[in-house]
Amino acid sequence: MSNFSDWLNGSLIFSLVMLLFIAYTKQKYKPALTLFTVFINVVITSCIAFFALFQSEIHVSIFNSTFWGAIPVEIDGLSGWFVLIINFTALTGIFYGSGYLKAYDSANSKMSMHFIAYILFHLSMIWVTLLHHSIAFLIAWELMSLSSMVLVIFDHQKLSTLKAGINYLVQMHISVIFLTVGFIWVYFETGSFSFDAIAIFFNSNSNLWLFFVFFIGFGIKAGFVPLHSWLPHAHPEAPSHVSGVMSGVIVKLGIYGIFRVISFLKADFLLLGEIVLSISVITGIYGILNSAIHRDFKRMLAYCTIENIGIIGIGIGLGLMGIGNNLPLLYYLGFGGALLHVLNHSLFKSLLFFAAGSVYQQTHTRDMEKLGGLIKTMPKTAVLFLIGAIAIAGIPPFNGFVSEFILYSGLLSALNIADITQILLLVLSLAGLSLIGGLSVLAFTKSFGTIFLGNERTPLNNNVKEVSKMMLIPQYLIIAVMLSVAFFPHFYLNTLALILENLLTNSDFIVPIELNKYALQIANINLYSLLFISIVAVMWFFRAYILKNKINKLQPTWGCGYSAPNAQMQYTGKSFSKSLGKIFNLVLIEQKKFKELKKGELFPKNRQYNSYYFDFFEYRFIQGITHRLVYSLNYFKFIQNGRIQSYVFYGLVFMLTIFILTVLNILK
Amino acid sequence: MLGFLLILIASAFFTGIIIRTKSIASGRKGPGIFQPIKDVVRLFRKGVVYSQTTSFIFQIAPTIYFSSVVMAMFVVPFGPSKGIVSFDGDFIFFAYILALGKFFNIISAMDTGSSFEGMGASREALYSLFVEPAFFILMGSLALITGHTSFQGMFASLHIGSYLSYALALIGTFVLMMIAMIENSRMPIDDPKTHLELTMVHEVMILDNSGFDLGLILSAGYIKFAVYGALVVNLFIGIFPLQYSIPMFFIIQAVLAIGVGLIESFMARFRMGHNAQFIFALTSVSLLIFFGALLILGKFA
Repeated sequence: MSNFSDWLNGSLIFSLVMLLFIAYTKQKYKPALTLFTVFINVVITSCIAFFALFQSEIHVSIFNSTFWGAIPVEIDGLSGWFVLIINFTALTGIFYGSGYLKAYDSANSKMSMHFIAYILFHLSMIWVTLLHHSIAFLIAWELMSLSSMVLVIFDHQKLSTLKAGINYLVQMHISVIFLTVGFIWVYFETGSFSFDAIAIFFNSNSNLWLFFVFFIGFGIKAGFVPLHSWLPHAHPEAPSHVSGVMSGVIVKLGIYGIFRVISFLKADFLLLGEIVLSISVITGIYGILNSAIHRDFKRMLAYCTIENIGIIGIGIGLGLMGIGNNLPLLYYLGFGGALLHVLNHSLFKSLLFFAAGSVYQQTHTRDMEKLGGLIKTMPKTAVLFLIGAIAIAGIPPFNGFVSEFILYSGLLSALNIADITQILLLVLSLAGLSLIGGLSVLAFTKSFGTIFLGNERTPLNNNVKEVSKMMLIPQYLIIAVMLSVAFFPHFYLNTLALILENLLTNSDFIVPIELNKYALQIANINLYSLLFISIVAVMWFFRAYILKNKINKLQPTWGCGYSAPNAQMQYTGKSFSKSLGKIFNLVLIEQKKFKELKKGELFPKNRQYNSYYFDFFEYRFIQGITHRLVYSLNYFKFIQNGRIQSYVFYGLVFMLTIFILTVLNILK
Repeated sequence: MLGFLLILIASAFFTGIIIRTKSIASGRKGPGIFQPIKDVVRLFRKGVVYSQTTSFIFQIAPTIYFSSVVMAMFVVPFGPSKGIVSFDGDFIFFAYILALGKFFNIISAMDTGSSFEGMGASREALYSLFVEPAFFILMGSLALITGHTSFQGMFASLHIGSYLSYALALIGTFVLMMIAMIENSRMPIDDPKTHLELTMVHEVMILDNSGFDLGLILSAGYIKFAVYGALVVNLFIGIFPLQYSIPMFFIIQAVLAIGVGLIESFMARFRMGHNAQFIFALTSVSLLIFFGALLILGKFA
């Protein structure tokens, strides 16, 4: 067993050495070195994760020194599952990123910083899922937030990027505050920083409040509404491979945290499940509604991440209700659906972000209303985006449908329980999930149609062409894995059954051993997807056969008799989602800026019309709070006066206070 | 298998009956019942004109749309005999496979770069998303009453309950028929005979389709109507023996078609701006069924 800790230490030391190399090599070797380092780390940790998933859980400890004490590292199936997801996305991310950043051959230091941060980011994410010691966990968590912040502000010359970066940093630290409070609470009750102490805490105290503290802390990372407001700022500003990885995995670590806390829970499953389920349905609908109206396609994808966190949360809520009602099937379908959707979303969301990044690299705009007709210049990227869009809308024959189907089955399987409030909640969630599905069809037909189809809306100055192989290959890899989920779900569902058999460590809920029995029932949907594909193929060949000897012509698009239509007259994405925005104007706040026509203004002049959408929670709640905070904190400005003498003085005062308190035996 | 064949036969005359009813109601002689099929056959013999703006999406979309409807047809059972594809939760598959067809239909309309077709596409996307909750709540309530989650299981065991379940079946008929009207862009929502592109929904999306592709889209529409009709039939036939259920199938389909024709003859379409609200109101009708289901099960205690 001890050799696992050697391997882990080895990967750490190896990465630290490589960081130095990366800092001091030539620009052109940096991407390759980073790729190599990430690859080695991926291989090491994936082996460990596979061992944990299919053989047995791993319990080791690292840093066996007197100063730290032994830090427990426990790798169970849950950690293994997340490690594999992190590894795959991080690897495809850096693969794609090294192609993507070729367009930015700018400052050397900036590149070093970026690549070093990427390696740290990858490692810290792995470590977050491995460590079972509160302080070590918080250090890894903090390292993850800081390194990802450095990655986000790659374009640090831009004001908006810096602003998004700082916003991200602040919100991540609010999340850390909640986590720290939770861990300290556990420490005061039990006297231990080990994660096992959380279980001890739950045995003797109310489960609700500590769970909420952790749920808020992890929920900020995951982006549950109303804690989501960092996502739509940070994702658009980050370079695309970073947004892909962030959206693909970093938000999932919030989900990991929630799962980890759940594994220690003792009681109150039912109530917690109902609350998580309700929040998640709202999160899902809110996320996809916003996603449907935004014209910045990376922001649209960021909101879509919120939607998918909602879908994952529905699974978590269902699983908790399954434990509370003692329904093993619901437990399996809920948590299994959630974990599978974690994987699925990391796949298609990184695919979509990568495809969107390719568009951004070629066109230098994130505004979909300026684009159009890119399917002719970038056909491969268009198809990749289309596949991602269909998958994320949860439509067969791709992998999104598999996990959504499992969640639907979960909702339906629980309908026979006795409690009427729960039935009501389940049926409303059923309707909510279907509404989410319908809305995502609207959101993604809009973005795909506006970006890739029709004609070019505004002339782009640069020569748009298909991106390099370096950027396409990782996307093909992602699609290969997506198809494996869609067509060989048995394998994934059985693995999930293994994880779920040993997930709960503290509750009285007896998990049946033959969970994979359920897997076989669900896994048949791949056959029906295959049947569908064969119908399409037969129809397509039939059509080709029929049309072979016919006269087929090319003509201009029907303009309803108007003979000089131009690209500006095309239907826009904004109008596509306008009626939706009007219906939901309660939460989709639109602000318009334009001058009314004055009396006597006979001749047409150049006019401007601007319309923005605001985030409901940010605009109505968070801004109000921060404005008031800024106002009141203004009075304490004298503390931060910029004089080095005062800062030294503060340090002195702090040390003296600690000293006096210790001497007086107040602080032990 | 039986359901599949019956739906195919029904789809051959369903739209024809609607058109015939409309012509009789307006005092015209009108075309024969099989005229829509003749139109489609004629279209199948023609070549295709593509817009210069379009890409391959425009060419594959009608095929995928048609295949999705065929796949949906596979799922629908007939009384006690299962559909070709039948499994727990197959109605989810049914809804989502239809969504795939719609997805491609919508992006093929966007592919033409027209100033009108996107309008229809946007409306279609909006209306069909509001339909989903109604459909899922309806199916969820049926699953609640019967304890089954496949179409066949739900429909076959719907009749063991009390008379109240027939009342629910009637409301269910209303919801399913409204969904069929919305999905097929018929009268209260959309007027297939309108002449102004600005007020069309479905028709404007397929303005640029022609020949074989248009034939596929039209026949997919006919089948879709019959598929929803078959779902309605299934609400009533339960486990009757075949010699009753097959005639009942055709009678109910014909009654529905005549009903649609009469509605189209004597009703004006709704205001475009209020369509979404109207469709969303269907969800509340579905909720009525849900509460009825709770009543039957005696959950209000």
